[in-house]
Amino acid sequence: MSLPILPTTVVGSYSMPGWLERLKTEYFVRRISRQELDEIHDAAVKAAIKDQEVVGLDIISDGELRRDNMIDYFAERLPGVQTDHTSKKFYYDFYDSVVRGKLPMASLRLADDFRFLASFTDRATKFCVTGPHSLVKRIKDEYYKNEEAFATDLARVMNMELKELARAGAKFIQIDEPYYSGFPEDLQWGVRVLNTLVEGVDAKIALHVCYGNRYGKPSWAGNYRYLFPTILEANVQQLTLEFARRGGEDLELFKEFPNKFELGVGVIDVKTHEVETAEIIAERLRKALKFVPAERIFVLPDCGCLHLPQEVAFAKLRTMVQGTKIIRKELGG
Amino acid sequence: MQARQDAAINIMILHVNHIPPKQTALAASVVSTLVTAACEGQAPARILENLNVHLEWLQYKTNFREAITLRRATRGEEVLPWFEVGVDLRQVRPDSLKEEFVNVLTDAADPAASLRKRVYLEPFTTVRSGLIWRFNNMFWQHLPLWESASGHGFEKALPGGTSDANHPEAIADAVADFWTLLKDLDSHNQLPAEIFALEIGVGTGARACAWLDRFRTLDRERSTQYYPRLRFLLADYSMPTLNRAMEAVREHRELASFLAVDALDPFKSLSFLRFKVLSIHLTNVYDNLPTDEIVVRDGKLYFVEARAYVPAPIAARICEAFGVQPAELGRSVSRLLEVGPQHLHHASLEQGVTFWRSVWDAVRLEERYVAIQSILDAPLPAGVKPGLLENFVGEGVMNQRFHLSSGALESFLNTVPLLHPRGYLQVQDIFVTKLDDYGRMFRGPGKMDGSIVNWVNGALLAEVGAQAGYDVHFAPFHYREGSRTSTLYTTHRE
Repeated sequence: MSLPILPTTVVGSYSMPGWLERLKTEYFVRRISRQELDEIHDAAVKAAIKDQEVVGLDIISDGELRRDNMIDYFAERLPGVQTDHTSKKFYYDFYDSVVRGKLPMASLRLADDFRFLASFTDRATKFCVTGPHSLVKRIKDEYYKNEEAFATDLARVMNMELKELARAGAKFIQIDEPYYSGFPEDLQWGVRVLNTLVEGVDAKIALHVCYGNRYGKPSWAGNYRYLFPTILEANVQQLTLEFARRGGEDLELFKEFPNKFELGVGVIDVKTHEVETAEIIAERLRKALKFVPAERIFVLPDCGCLHLPQEVAFAKLRTMVQGTKIIRKELGG
Repeated sequence: MQARQDAAINIMILHVNHIPPKQTALAASVVSTLVTAACEGQAPARILENLNVHLEWLQYKTNFREAITLRRATRGEEVLPWFEVGVDLRQVRPDSLKEEFVNVLTDAADPAASLRKRVYLEPFTTVRSGLIWRFNNMFWQHLPLWESASGHGFEKALPGGTSDANHPEAIADAVADFWTLLKDLDSHNQLPAEIFALEIGVGTGARACAWLDRFRTLDRERSTQYYPRLRFLLADYSMPTLNRAMEAVREHRELASFLAVDALDPFKSLSFLRFKVLSIHLTNVYDNLPTDEIVVRDGKLYFVEARAYVPAPIAARICEAFGVQPAELGRSVSRLLEVGPQHLHHASLEQGVTFWRSVWDAVRLEERYVAIQSILDAPLPAGVKPGLLENFVGEGVMNQRFHLSSGALESFLNTVPLLHPRGYLQVQDIFVTKLDDYGRMFRGPGKMDGSIVNWVNGALLAEVGAQAGYDVHFAPFHYREGSRTSTLYTTHRE
């Protein structure tokens, strides 16, 4: 499937409707059944796909609307990870998950979600997976006693899953590692584990690193300098970073540390409901183009649109597409 | 409680709410009088059958209620048959109690009675948008005029005559905690070049001054050079207050900034500091922000609406004293609120202020309960998701009356986006931390000098905070014995 120059996409999640939040919480307080929730999720994902198509995105995700948060969706599927209390007051809360023995190899059944996505769109797709570094920061370890060892085993299990996704047709997989920014001192082993995760996976791999988006606010402050030069050892094809909220100063790093990565440029600030203009988007892209050639740039929001109201997310993405078109035109496309 | 009238049994339900131990004898006497009045057949049986009496002690010496007040309930255009009478033990006069009680019950059957006894200043409206809040705004905008007339500063009206915000030990501890945060950020090479701290609702400026003095001292003692990097923002919506605070912190002028902000929406003025402020402090701000109330009666939900009025005899006295035609009182009050006491037509400044104080002293609220099908229909503060309030009230609550703390919630939600990822918000105020505690004592509104005071629904605030990504905790203010204030502080929710 050919993509235009400056392909547009989401980081992963689409707006979580208020009614879906309530229904998810209803499930966790045992007021609706798993089957009912699954049917609700199917309907919500179809709507998210449709919205992305309507705004004109080139690469579509499932909006991650089946996921309570970036951790639990994986924690409850990972073999060997135990969740003692599976009731929540609010769906977005984290489980207290724990690993008490060596992780066995087994499927996480993620490919089913990808197949669902692929069956409802003709456009290119992207499937997102939380990386091992972020998972070990939220899953309590009572066995490995060493974060890298735990993360490496997680990576081995999830590597099988990524290969399964590729076999199911996923050509573009994104690994989300926001916790890098909270624990920059882990980066050396974080990248080693990342490379274990993606080894032999027959798909384009993107790595998304941001400063957190929990509850629609940043979890950490700082800049991306800590990523370099270590990140250059990552066996991924694309880095997806946030530049809209934080400004484009860190783009200089791509000049300072020449590399062959594609760059997913965050041009939409997902932590404000204010909708950018197309010209602002265009200006952010012009700035990125000074450091990375157009053929290596992807256009997307800073992070997931989970916390934005649907009408805001829709408007922001539509503006992002319009702003991108301005630049394509300037590039002669 | 049942009251016998002739041969028939009439039901008058009497709720005895939060009576202080010292007032139990008075309460018993009042109960006896009420029951006797009911038994003597002076009140219509039809009224008694639909009557709920709530007996309580309003701890605010001045408030918006009369000793005995009638509250009706409506659903759409329909006036519901049941009604409620509130009896304030603190205000009742035993010698006239029975007569007043019977009069109120008689008036309940005569909708025109209240028009004869009260001069209304507005139609029924939500409490938060009512006229009393315009009085509250005027108090802060014209504070020096009020203080000059009252002969004392506004803090004298606080319990203990001073603000807990200025307690030196509390400030020293707050500064120490802040310095520790800075040191930790510094040790991880994450300390911003400019260190933003914000105080909203600066009062006299005494706390800001003491805080800055202490911070400078600590910084010098420890040679950390944080003080010169500090950007201390003092924010308030009252310019007189800001001017006073400016004088108080003159020694720190180089790093202090003074900003007029809307307490309901600090973000509107300070959006350039989004995710940058490391410490935000408020004292006695939330208790002075507009709020609405929800009432649960027999498991059904009602929203409280109110209209301000002045009792007719007092209105007559005010009109006579200030040369206002009785029919013009409402218009004069509107003009007062519109132009301020110094510009009242035909009035000197002194007369204007006296008129203001007289009306404020006299103003009362007539309440009615508006039935709502579901708590989801309640006019929720902006940003509060309906399901949250539904879960907050929960099932099985039969009788309760609580504040939505609409203004406080709005202010909170419009403040936390300013916080740096490691920053925190501290709010020193009077909080109700459990829904059940609304049944333990009257929580307002009361009058505090020329302003309004309401306890803040901390329990609801905690729920709202959790969904905004902050765990909200409350710690009693232990620096002054007997203090009723507590400190809300946030920690980031994982």
